[in-house]
Amino acid sequence: MRMSLRACMWAPARLCRSKPMASSAHSIKAVAPATARPSTGTLRRRSPRMRSAFPYLLVAPAVLYLLAITLYPGIFAIYQSLFVVRFVKWTWAGLDNYERILQDAEFWAALWNTIIVGGLSLGLQTVIALALAYFAYRDPLIRGWRIIYLMPMLFMPSAVAFMWKLAFNDGRVISDLLMTIGLTHGNVDWLASVWLARLTLIVADVWQWTPFLFIIFVAALQGQDQEIEEAARLDGASWPAIFWNISLPMMRPVIVVAVTLRGIDITTMFTNVYIMTQGSPGGATETMSFFIYRQGFRMFNFGYASAASVLMLAMTILIAQTLVKRAFRSGRS
Amino acid sequence: MASIQLNNIVKRFGSFVGVENMSLDIADEEFLVLLGPSGCGKTTTMRMIAGLEHPTGGQIVIGGEVVNEIDARDRDVAMVFQGYALYPNMSIYDNIRFPLRMRKVPADQHDRLIRRAAEMVELGAFLDRKPGALSGGQRQRAALARAVVREPQVFLMDEPLSNLDAKLRASMRVQIKHMQRQLKVTTVYVTHDQIEAMTLADRIVIMNRGIIQQVGTPDEIYSDPANTFVAGFIGSPPMNLLAGEARDGIFRSEGIEVPCPRTVTGSVTLGIRPEDCTVGGGHLQGMVYGVEPTGDITYLTVQTGKRAVEIKAARDFRAPIDTPISIGFDLSRLYFFSENGERIRRPA
Ligand SMILES: Nc1ncnc2c1ncn2[C@@H]1O[C@H](COP(=O)(O)OP(=O)(O)OP(=O)(O)O)[C@@H](O)[C@H]1O
Ligand SMILES: [Mg+2]
Repeated sequence: MRMSLRACMWAPARLCRSKPMASSAHSIKAVAPATARPSTGTLRRRSPRMRSAFPYLLVAPAVLYLLAITLYPGIFAIYQSLFVVRFVKWTWAGLDNYERILQDAEFWAALWNTIIVGGLSLGLQTVIALALAYFAYRDPLIRGWRIIYLMPMLFMPSAVAFMWKLAFNDGRVISDLLMTIGLTHGNVDWLASVWLARLTLIVADVWQWTPFLFIIFVAALQGQDQEIEEAARLDGASWPAIFWNISLPMMRPVIVVAVTLRGIDITTMFTNVYIMTQGSPGGATETMSFFIYRQGFRMFNFGYASAASVLMLAMTILIAQTLVKRAFRSGRS
Repeated sequence: MASIQLNNIVKRFGSFVGVENMSLDIADEEFLVLLGPSGCGKTTTMRMIAGLEHPTGGQIVIGGEVVNEIDARDRDVAMVFQGYALYPNMSIYDNIRFPLRMRKVPADQHDRLIRRAAEMVELGAFLDRKPGALSGGQRQRAALARAVVREPQVFLMDEPLSNLDAKLRASMRVQIKHMQRQLKVTTVYVTHDQIEAMTLADRIVIMNRGIIQQVGTPDEIYSDPANTFVAGFIGSPPMNLLAGEARDGIFRSEGIEVPCPRTVTGSVTLGIRPEDCTVGGGHLQGMVYGVEPTGDITYLTVQTGKRAVEIKAARDFRAPIDTPISIGFDLSRLYFFSENGERIRRPA
């Protein structure tokens, strides 16, 4: 195999007219077909059916494992959502749980909170990450030290939540800072106002997850063909014009995928709520996940909690699917 | 419209020398072609003129103004990139329109200018496609249209026709030349194709390893090469270069004996173009190695010792291989080069 490849590569160059011909005479011999023999592995001797099944057998353990931890709980939740569950006593309820949920003001409040807090947080971190990426991606320091910016993501979520709880509520660090620069008089009670409480959740999430988007956006920008940027430069475009007209549209699929991933993550926001606000004041920061948790593990309405989970899952899948599909359709044509 | 001067330009990439001490005067409205083997620094030179690469040393002057510290955006130079560099997210129409928008050309002129440019490169039917939906040749033409849609001070074209088929290439060649004469824009053009270089250029610059080998009109480059590199690079097939000894007005080499000027002595290289050789004549004795009829001319390869000599023979010339043959040279068209490759010129 190797021999024949080398001969093929050399022969045309040697036969080229302007080369000395002494060497071209014997190189013709080297082109003689060296038949490549396919290697006879053990696989060949097995029965055809065994051979076609082999790849599936190889991935089977992983698939089984994944099914056990994802599909099984999912199906279990759907099943459970059709019952009123009181510890070990399951009573068939049909779609009653769903009916009650859709009339439950707390459910709608939780959905609304998730959209408000998640949406603002996601929008904010996307814009900040894009801006940072735009200013930073040409910087060699950023190229070399990307990993540093990942640090906030590497911390344990509950630790981060406790840190922000300290900074906002218990330790009053932020209040003190605001007082020092004269923005507020007296201590701010972050849990006393609906919007201040939501703000603490947003700040915590933005702090921890902006780097994730930043890294992805920087990579996307650095992956773009530099010649295109240069061409735009010669065409008279300023850096902001290049970013707006060319880089950003080209990043679109990446942005959508990254934001979708982040969005899925944010819809299930739980840790920060649990540690920082517990849904207060008056349920204004109760997200869907926290609502489900409260129904399931505080009020032990497992069927009801399952139904809420199923609804949430359905909504998430629907939104993510549409977003990604649209991004890739318009990116292609 | 502007003249360009390169004064002792040097470009190093780390310790690698991309362009070495290059000085060049490009006149206003001139069509200058850069020619040279792959990796000799043609693109690098262009990128320095465009302002995309900062020279390590030397001065670049465009229109009488030193532009070393002037940003690419403000040099008013249009470039066709070797790799097209079209904007993938925009239609071809918007691609061609982009420089007009960025240079603040009044919007009511856009459509007319775009269609004129597209017409020139025969791209009218593809205006609403995106670059991804075009063939290599079509993309190349779109890149060309984008460069010519406005009237810059300087055109830089990096192998703009390399991906077109022979017919389209010939017609685009004429159009580029016509357009350049019409717009009177100073143009620097890179190509590998000698026909393109010969037909388009006012002057040709031959480069090798970042060093200019010769600058001259196509005629000068062809009939008066400065060294063995230029002689062996230009022409297809290029000039035959045969090393030998010259003494007392005779040049001798294995199978070769020709008269030479008495001023030429010692180890020298004889150069003779394939079209200046004739079958029969007795300056060279060898064996027929190959005969290649092409229709209007027959290429004959003759072996003497270990060397091959190319000859353009009459269209109906035929001979079996490995038969002895005698070749004559046009004695007024002999070139001699010294051992270091420089041309030995006749004392005037
Ligand atoms: N950014 C860079 N860093 C290091 N070396 C470079 C860089 N750009 C170019 N070179 C080197 O400089 C030399 C000249 O490159 P250049 O692109 O100018 O060649 P060229 O004459 O345009 O060749 P071609 O005909 O293949 O396009 C090459 O050897 C190349 O490897
Ligand atoms: Mg090049």
